[in-house]
Order: sequence, then C-alpha cells, then structure tokens
Amino acid sequence: MREEIVKGAANPSRYLSETKPRVVSERKSYNSRPAWLKTALPPLVAFVIFIGGWELVCRLADIKPFLLPKPSDIVQAVIENGANLWVSVYTTIMEAVLGFLLSVVLGVGFAIILASSKFVERIVYPYAIIMQTIPIVAIAPIIVIWFGAGINAIVIIAFLIGFFPMLSNTLVGLHSTDQNMKNLFYLYNASPLQSMFRLRLPSALPYIVAGLKISCTLAVIGAIVGEYIAGIGGGQGGLGYAITVAASRLQTAYLFACGLSASVLGIAFFLLVNAFSKWMLSSWHESEMKSSDG
Amino acid sequence: METTAVRKERVRMGGLSKVYPNGTVAVQDVDLSINEGEFLCFVGPSGCGKSTIFKMITGLSEPTGGTLDVMGTTPKQARKQSDTAFVFQDHTLLPWSSVIDNVALPLALRGVSRKERLLEAERVLELVGLKDYMKSMPRQLSGGMKMRASIARALVSKPKLLLMDEPFGALDEITRQTLQFELLDLWSRDQEMTVLFVTHNVFEAVFLSTRVAVMTPSPGKIAAVIDVPVPFPRNESFRTTPEFGQIVRTVSDALKH
Repeated sequence: MREEIVKGAANPSRYLSETKPRVVSERKSYNSRPAWLKTALPPLVAFVIFIGGWELVCRLADIKPFLLPKPSDIVQAVIENGANLWVSVYTTIMEAVLGFLLSVVLGVGFAIILASSKFVERIVYPYAIIMQTIPIVAIAPIIVIWFGAGINAIVIIAFLIGFFPMLSNTLVGLHSTDQNMKNLFYLYNASPLQSMFRLRLPSALPYIVAGLKISCTLAVIGAIVGEYIAGIGGGQGGLGYAITVAASRLQTAYLFACGLSASVLGIAFFLLVNAFSKWMLSSWHESEMKSSDG
Repeated sequence: METTAVRKERVRMGGLSKVYPNGTVAVQDVDLSINEGEFLCFVGPSGCGKSTIFKMITGLSEPTGGTLDVMGTTPKQARKQSDTAFVFQDHTLLPWSSVIDNVALPLALRGVSRKERLLEAERVLELVGLKDYMKSMPRQLSGGMKMRASIARALVSKPKLLLMDEPFGALDEITRQTLQFELLDLWSRDQEMTVLFVTHNVFEAVFLSTRVAVMTPSPGKIAAVIDVPVPFPRNESFRTTPEFGQIVRTVSDALKH
C-alpha cells in the first residue's frame, strides 16, 4: 500500500518529464518522409482492398450494373462520357466559385458593418440567425422564381448557403480582439476605421479562415442543390443536373461517376482554400505554424 | 511646497478617488504632483490601486472624486495631444506586423508618412538595440526583445510623459535587470521625459526612480513618498551599495503600514 501511494505521488512529475521530449520527437518524425508514407500507406492499402473486393463481389454475385455497378463500369462510364462529365464539372466549379466569392465578400463586408455599430448589429443580427436556420432547399424554388432557372439562381443558392457561416465567423472574430490591443489603439487615438482595418480585421483572420473552410465546401453543395432545382435554364448543366438526368435514365455507373466527381471537387476546393489560409496565417498565427519558434 | 517651481508639472492629483460601482474603494484621497523629468514609481501589492491610478491617468478609467490634471489638462485631452506614450506588462505587438511596422504604429495612426515613420522607427530601434531585428516578426523575438520593441514603440513619438504598467513583470530576473538599466539609459537621454512606472517589485522601484510612491491596499492609498537621492547614471553596482539596501528597507517598512 505504502509503495503504491509513493508511486502515485511520483507519477505526475514523471509524466511531465517524459511527455515533453516525446512530443518533440513525434513532431520531428511527422515532418520527415517515411512517417508521411506511414500515414498514407494504410488508407491506400485499404482503398485497394475495398475496390478489389467490390469488383470481385459484383462479378461473383453477378449483381446487375444498374443496381450496383462495378468499379470498372464506373471507370468505363467516365471514359465514355468524359466530355459531358467535364462540362458538368466545369459548370459546377464556375457556379460554386462565383457563389463562394460572393459569400466571402458580402459575408465579411456585412460583418464589418455590423461590428462597427452595436446598434445596427442588435437590429440585424437576430434576423441573420433566423435566416440561417431556413433550409436552403426550402427557399430554392423561390429563388428560381425570382431569378429564373439557370446560373443566376444557382449562384445565388451557392452564395446563400455560404454567406451565413462567413458572416457569423467574421463577426465573432471581429468581436474577439484582445482587450490590451484595443486599449493600445484607443490610447494612441486610433479612429474607428483605423481600429477596424489595422487591428480588428487582421485579428479576426483566423476566424475568417475558419469561415472560408466551411463556406467553400458548402458552396459546392449549394451549387449542386441549385442545379437539382434550377436545372439548366438554357445553359450547360452542371453536376447536379447530370445526376438528375442519369438517375432518371437509370445510368447508375455514370451516376456514381458524377457523385465521385462532386466529392473530388469538394475536396479539391477545400484543399485549395486550406492552402490559401495556411499561406495567409503562416507568418503569425499559432494554428498554422509549421514549427516551433526559432 | 513649491520647491521645484522651475520645472513644469506633468501630473497633479488632488484628493483623487475611485470607487467602483460595486462599492470597492480602489483609490482614496491620493495627492501627488509629478514634475517634468522625474522618474516616479508606484510600488505596492496587487489590489493597492496602482493600476487604477495608471488607468485614470491614461483616461481609460474615470475618477469618481478629486481632481486629476495630466500635462496641464484633462487625461483625455492630454492623450489627444499625443505627448503621452504607454507600455504595458503585455508587449501588445501586432503579431501580423514586422517589428519596425509595430514600432511605427503610433505614427501611422497619426497619419505620418510611411517614409518618415520608418525613419523614426529605425532611430528608436537602434536605441533599444533591435536594429538588426526590424524586419523580424514579433513571434521570432524573445520575451525581453519583445519588451524592447514595445518600449521602442512608446519612444517613437518622443513622448513627454511615458506611462509604464509593470512592463517587466513577465520577464525573468536577469532580463529584467538588463532592461531596467537600459530604460534608465533611454530616460537619461531625454531630460524632459517624465516616466511613471507601476511595479510590485521594491528593488526595481528603488533602482529606477527619483521618487517612490508606496501604496497600500484596501482602500488604495499612498502610504509614503520616498526620495531616492542617488545621482544618475546608476549602474549595476548601485544594487549592492548600503545606500540601496537602506532605501529598500525604508520602502519595505512603508509597505507594511
């Protein structure tokens, strides 16, 4: 018993002295190549096994391709409809990017206006929250009625879905400026505009970046949902439109190809924004620092 | 009373009081006059109201009683004249700006042209020995260097009144002593600059000041104002003189009342 108590008392300090160096060594090995491979290899192996198993099960059980196409069917569908698929992907990219950019510019812009005046914020913000809770699918038909079927409505849907995360994230960021820094600006007679653009907006950058990451994936979803509802309206159809058409024709393999393209698009979009945010914050913010201070 | 009438009065407190809305008396009936070229330390334990006095002088907090003149006018007006500069315990450097841009910030906020303010910033960075680091980002600097940059930022506007709120409180003892010495050196270059320095470290207060205002808590009052009649420049050997020990003892005794 006595020994146990002594051990228990000794443990915390031992933990402290042991964990620190371990963390450092882990970090180092993360940066080197073999460790990177070590993290990439298991999921890669799992992927190969999964695809192989899928192909095998489909062939052995002779499953109808319109129920569950084999991976090889999907690849074939991509090759056969490559041109169409590319047009769809391209259209969706355009719509998502436009919607995303709109949501960033207007989201940050409105947040700046709201954060500049407590009065305006108190009036507007509750409604902004209420509007955020309205499912986009529910109001999409209204947007189609107002702006006509096609790219206008789709861009607006993609914009709306990404707008509120941008607005609320930026607003929280603008409100969480360090009090000491605010005092400093106040004491040096900074104008409200100077405080906003030299202090509050840069401090809010980590929050804005978090908003960007949410909004960019939402914009892709918004564009595809928009295409479901708004169709093509005379222009070229995006992925959402291609999916509805393929579903109605029971082209399951192409349906899979469209779905996969949509998720690849979402991931690519996210990675791009992620890289951008890393580049923006790398010089100063802890969340994106590569190594410890020199 | 008017022994130093030749020198201009920088700060004047008359029956200065601050009672917080919850009834806490942070500062009660403080009378003190601080002249041009003085280095005055407020020393006392936490909760003695020294930071509250600091806040009132900066205009961040309003007195609830008595009078307070800064540079011959109200604290808010004095701040508008840009003759006052500030250093806090936290270095408050903008993490996204380089050292030189941080140091030039007070001038930038005042609309001084970029070329002119960078020139001024370079001048003060040279004074604090950070010229080689002016392109660095704050996070690349050590704690002591960040504080030097913070002091440089305060000096860039050539202030007549420098207000420092426990600036070395977060630093290790060795860095703290180096910076104390450097601060005295900077102050001695500008005979017109008045420094008000808040600290809870008696040794620091005695080493730096021409006068020490000893404060005691609940309610915050000035228990004694003790002269440190030791000529400048003071160097490290001053810390080991009997005179130093004696003044430290006097201040410590005053703190106990």
